Amino acid sequence: MAGRPGAAEQAETLARQGQVGAAVAACYEALAIDHGQPRIHALLAHLMLEGDFYDEAIAEATAAIEADPDCSPAYLALGLAYDRRGGMWDQSLLVWHELAEVAPDLVTAHVQLGEAFSAAAFEEEAVESWRRALELDPKESRATYNLAIDSLKREGMALALPLFRQAGELDPSQDELFFALLGLKDAPVVQVDPARVKPNRDARVGAAGLALKADDFFAAADLVRLVLDEQPDDAEALALAAYAYLKQEAANEAMACAVRALSLQPDLVTALYCLGVVYARRTGLSRHAARVFIALAKQAPSHALVHVLLAESLLGLQRYEQAGKAYRLAVRLDPACVRARFGLAAAYLTEGRYAEASWEIRRAAYYDTKRQGLFWRLYDGYVGGGDGQ
Amino acid sequence: MSGTSASGAAVASAPVRNPLFPVGVDLYPLDAERASFSDWYDRDLVDDFAAMADAHFSLVRVFVSWKLFEPQVGQYDDEAMDRLGSVLEGARTHDLRAIVTFFADDRLAEMNEVPWAKKRDPRTDDYLIQREISLVQRVVNHFRTDAAVWAWELGNEAFFTGFETEERLQAWARTLKDAIREVDTARQVVLGVGAETLVRETGVDAREAIDGFEHALSRVTAPYLSYMAEGPLTYGPATYLDSFLLRSNSRTLPVLADGVGVHSLDGSVAEEAAYVRTALFSTVMNRGAGVMLRRWRDLEAEKREPYFRDPYETLVGVTGPDGEPKPALEEVRRFIRTVARLDLQRYALAPERSAVVVPVERYELLPSLAGLYDPRSCLQSYIAAKEAHLPVTLLSEGDDPDGFMTLFVPSAGKLSPDMWKSLASFVQSGGSVVLSYGGGDADPALREIFGVDFLGDHGVRQVVSCRIAQPGLLGDLSAFDARLDLPHYALVGGGSATVVATDATGSPLLTVNQYGQGRAVFLAAPLERAIAQSDPWAAPEPVKGLLRTVYGSVARAAGSGPVVDCDDPVVEIAQFQGDGDDVVCVLSHDMASRTATLTTERVVASVTDIRGGKAADVQARSFGVPLGPNGAAVLRLTYG
Repeated sequence: MAGRPGAAEQAETLARQGQVGAAVAACYEALAIDHGQPRIHALLAHLMLEGDFYDEAIAEATAAIEADPDCSPAYLALGLAYDRRGGMWDQSLLVWHELAEVAPDLVTAHVQLGEAFSAAAFEEEAVESWRRALELDPKESRATYNLAIDSLKREGMALALPLFRQAGELDPSQDELFFALLGLKDAPVVQVDPARVKPNRDARVGAAGLALKADDFFAAADLVRLVLDEQPDDAEALALAAYAYLKQEAANEAMACAVRALSLQPDLVTALYCLGVVYARRTGLSRHAARVFIALAKQAPSHALVHVLLAESLLGLQRYEQAGKAYRLAVRLDPACVRARFGLAAAYLTEGRYAEASWEIRRAAYYDTKRQGLFWRLYDGYVGGGDGQ
Repeated sequence: MSGTSASGAAVASAPVRNPLFPVGVDLYPLDAERASFSDWYDRDLVDDFAAMADAHFSLVRVFVSWKLFEPQVGQYDDEAMDRLGSVLEGARTHDLRAIVTFFADDRLAEMNEVPWAKKRDPRTDDYLIQREISLVQRVVNHFRTDAAVWAWELGNEAFFTGFETEERLQAWARTLKDAIREVDTARQVVLGVGAETLVRETGVDAREAIDGFEHALSRVTAPYLSYMAEGPLTYGPATYLDSFLLRSNSRTLPVLADGVGVHSLDGSVAEEAAYVRTALFSTVMNRGAGVMLRRWRDLEAEKREPYFRDPYETLVGVTGPDGEPKPALEEVRRFIRTVARLDLQRYALAPERSAVVVPVERYELLPSLAGLYDPRSCLQSYIAAKEAHLPVTLLSEGDDPDGFMTLFVPSAGKLSPDMWKSLASFVQSGGSVVLSYGGGDADPALREIFGVDFLGDHGVRQVVSCRIAQPGLLGDLSAFDARLDLPHYALVGGGSATVVATDATGSPLLTVNQYGQGRAVFLAAPLERAIAQSDPWAAPEPVKGLLRTVYGSVARAAGSGPVVDCDDPVVEIAQFQGDGDDVVCVLSHDMASRTATLTTERVVASVTDIRGGKAADVQARSFGVPLGPNGAAVLRLTYG
C-alpha cells in the first residue's frame, strides 16, 4: 500500500529545508501508514547522517535496502555512515562496491571506495579506485588529494607535493578567496559591458573586478587598461591585471604586475595573493611564496584559505610543524575546508600521527560529500525513476 | 595505609598498590581468532599473571563459558570447573583477585551458545533462566571460600544489549543476584553493565537494576564512542568521555571505570598509551572507584585475504598477541605506582558544587531527537565546566540539587514542570543557573526565573555574533563573529534581566537576572548543542571561550568556583584535600607539551611529586607545572 502522499512529501520538504526534527517526525508518520517505504527509510537515514547519528543512519539505510535493493540514496547514506562511524571499513567496502554498480557514473562512490580500501590497507586497490574516479571526472579534487596522500605514504613529500599542488589548483574556492579579498565575495556574477561603465577610476576598477568574477577577461582587460592609461601607478588595477594574467597562465606577466603593485602599495592583499600564487606554482620558489603568504596572512588573517596557501608553501620547504600549525588555524576558521583537512592529514603523517591523519581525511570526506548534495541527486533520481515506493 | 609517614611523605617501603583504588584487566579466554570455544583458558597463564603482578595489578576479570560448563542439560563438565579453579589459583598465587563474569559474549568463545538451548533467549526464557541459576550457584558454591574471588559479575555489555525492557532486565538481574546470595553472602555482586551506554544502545534504562548491586560500571563502548566523540583520542572531547561517562553512571554506588583502552588499531602505540594515560588519571580525578583495562593481550586475528583486518582485531590489549608489553602497559604501571601513593583515606576529593543537568527527555526514543542531542550537549557542557576548572558532576533532572551552588542546563528542548519549580526554588535560595535555549516554546517559568519574555525562535543561523553590552558582569567577555551553525536562536525581550551581550543586531544573547537570593543566566542560543553537532574538534575558540567564561564567572560568584585555578583551559585539575596539605592532580587534555600555571587560594610553601623526590620551595600562590603531551602530574602541596 502506498503511504498517504502528504506525509512522505511533507517529510521530504522539511528535510530539504533542514528542519531535522519536524522532518523526522513526518517520516515516522509516513512509516506508521506504510512501514515498507524505502524512500522514507532512505530519507531518515540521510537525516540521521546529517546529525552524525551513525548507528541510526545505518539501521534506516539497511531497512531501505532490504525493502528495495536498488535504492541508491540508501547505499550512499549507508556507505557514508559506515565510513564516518569508523571501524566498519569491511562493510563500507561492500556498500561502495554495490553503489558503484547501482550508479556506475557516481564519481564519489569510487572516491569513497578508494578511501575504504585505504583504511583497510589495500593501497593498490585504493589507487585504482581513485584513478577510476579521475577517469570519470578529471577535476575530482578529493581523488587527487587521496593520490597525493598515498604518494606521501609511499614515496615521501617531495613526490607528493606536485599532486597536492595539482589538487589545490582544482579547488574553485581559491578564486573565491581572491574575490573575497577584493571585497566582491557576495557580488553576483554578471556580464559587464565596458561601454556602460561610468568613466571614472573607481567605477572602472569595480567593474573590472566583476568582469573577472564572470571570467570575462577581455572586458576586464579593457577596463584595467583605461585605468592604467590615466594612472599607470594604480596598484589595485595592477593587481587586477595580475589576476587576469594568472588566470590565463601568463605567470611572468602576472608576477610583473603584482610586484609593481606591491612596490606601490606593499600591503595590497590582492597583489600579495597573485604574487604568492605565482611563486607557489613555480618549482623552487616555495621560500618566496611562504614569505608572501606570511604577509598575506598578516593582512587577511580571517580567511582560512590564506593559511592553507601559507601551509602549502611551508610543506614545500619541509617545515611540516609550521605547516601543520597553519593548516590547524585554517581548519579552525573553516572546518569544512577540504583542502586544509587533507593538508593537515599530510602534516600529521610526516609526524607519524596516523590516527589523526585518518580522522582529517574522514572529515574531509564528510564535508566534501555534504557540500556536493549527492544524496538529493540520487534521491530525486530514484524517486523520479518511479521506483521510489 | 602502610608505607607513608605521618606527613604523607614516601618512606622506604612505598606502597605498590592502592587498596582503595584497584586496577585490573580483562583476561579473555581466547587470544587467537583461530582458537575454538573448547580452548577456553586452555593455555599456560603463568607468564600473563606474572606480568600482571609485576605491573602491580590488583584485579583480573575472567569469564565463565556456559557452553563448556554445561555441554548437556544438567550435565556439568568437571574439567571446566577445574580449569576455572586453575585460573583462580594462578591469580591468587600472583596476588591478584578475580571478577568472575558469568554471561559474557566476546563474539569469539561462544560462551553462552549452549547447543541445547535451541535459540531460546537466555534473558527471557524461564527454563534457560533456571539453568542459569543452576550454573551460577554451582560455580559460586564451588569457589565461595576462595579468597581469589573479588566479585561475581552477572554479564557483560554485549549480553545485556539483548534485553528489550527494563522489567525483563530487572527481573533477570534480581533472580540471578538472589541465586548468588543464597550461596555466597560475602562477596560483591556486580551487574556488569553501564546504564548510560545501555540506554544509548537499546533504549533500556538499567539505572534501577544497577542500584540493586554493590558496584556500578562505566564502560566506553565502541558504539558509544563513535556516537559521542568519534574523533582523535589524544585531544578534544574523546579525552573527557571516560570521566563524563563515569559521572553519568554515578548515582549511589562506587563506579568502576571499565573497559579502559582503545577500540581499534587506527592509532600508533604512542597514541594508545596517551589515551590510556588520560583515561586512567581522569578516573581517579573524577571519583572512580577503580579501573579495569579493556584487554590483556591483543587478539591475534586470522590472516584471510582480502579481509585480514577484520573486526575481531579491534580487540586491542595492553600487550601484543605474543605478550610483548606495549607502551600502554608502561602507562598503567606508572599510574598504579603513582596512585598507590595517594592515601584516599587521608585525602578526599574536593566536593563538586556545580553540576550539569541531564534532562529527562534524554531517555526519549525516536522520533524525538532529544535522546540523541542531549547527551552530546551535556558532554560539551561538562567540557566547558572542566575548561573553567570547576569541580563538576552530572545531575539527572528530578534529582535533588541540594548541595550544589551552580547548575548548568545545556540546550534542553523541554524540562518538566517539576524541574522548573525545582530551578525556581534553587535560584531563590541562592543558587545560580545557566540555561541555554534548546528550541521550541519556552516555559512560562522562563520569565519568572530568568526575567526575559520569550518572543519566538528565530531559527537557524550560520554565525554566532557576540557584542558586549555590560562588560565584566559575567567575566571577561569580548565581541566576536564566529562561523557555527546554530539550530535555534531565542528572541527575548522585556523582563527584569540585564542584557550582558547581544548578537550583531542587538537581540539579547546573554542575560542575567537576580531572582531571590540567586542568579539566573540565560543563553539565547544552544551553544553546547551547536558545538556538539558541528565539529567539536574544530569548534570556534571564541564560542568555547564564551561558554567557559560564563560558566566560570557564574560559578565563582556563587561560591562554587575552582579550588585550584589554572591559566590553561585544556588542563584539568582535581584537588584532594587533606589536613594541612593537599594533593593536586593535573592532567593535560592535549598532545602539545605545556606549562600550566596553577593558582591556589593560600600561599603554597612547597610542592612535591607524590611519587617522591625533593620538595620544591614555592612560597607563592602560583606555580608552574610542566606537562608533556597528554601529561599528568600528581603533586603534594604544603602551605606556608
